[in-house]
Amino acid sequence: MSSMSFQEKSAWGTLVSLLVIGALYFSSVWNLWRAEQLHMAAMFGLSVGFTILLTVVLVGYHLIVAAISGGQDEDERDRLIGWRAGNSSGIVLGVAVISIVLMIIAGGMVDDPFWQQPVVIANALMLAVLLSMIVELALTIWFHRKGI
Amino acid sequence: MGGAITNRVRELRQRGEGMTQQKLAEAVGVSRQTIIAIESGRYSPSLEVALKIAREFGEPVEVVFELVTTAD
Repeated sequence: MSSMSFQEKSAWGTLVSLLVIGALYFSSVWNLWRAEQLHMAAMFGLSVGFTILLTVVLVGYHLIVAAISGGQDEDERDRLIGWRAGNSSGIVLGVAVISIVLMIIAGGMVDDPFWQQPVVIANALMLAVLLSMIVELALTIWFHRKGI
Repeated sequence: MGGAITNRVRELRQRGEGMTQQKLAEAVGVSRQTIIAIESGRYSPSLEVALKIAREFGEPVEVVFELVTTAD
């Protein structure tokens, strides 16, 4: 752990938090969906609640890491890793958003109401953002471990 | 024909009385993790950092870093 930079520790903590809280969020959404209780008001409450939870967890984690190992300014390697990981996650997000738009259009063309529902679209977008963040954090860790 | 950059940073750092990775990192303005990555060949630094490292050792940059031609 001591050979890790602050940026790598930050990426690990953020990745684990996102995976756990993201899984909790989507399992709650799935349970509400199965109970036919997933409407926009419930979804809004869920997303606000989990966003606050994620923020609190990440702030707490970064405060602890900074207190134990000290903060660290980014250097050129950290910036290069951030740029390359961000570039790849941007591509993932772009492809996911275009896919969602195509599904909405296709759903409209065949009169399938599933992809016309605001809660489905909103959750698909949430999943796209979550996936792109996971890709960015995983690549950040990979580049720190394996080199760039 | 490709190229790979090798370096003698660890060897030169340990020469004489030796210099810690942390001290070299502070001297050239990068993190200790970046010095570790350079020494293990996992990162090729920018020209600016390469020149700063060479200056710390009092050697020309081509003594510290070398471009090795590879077959690919």
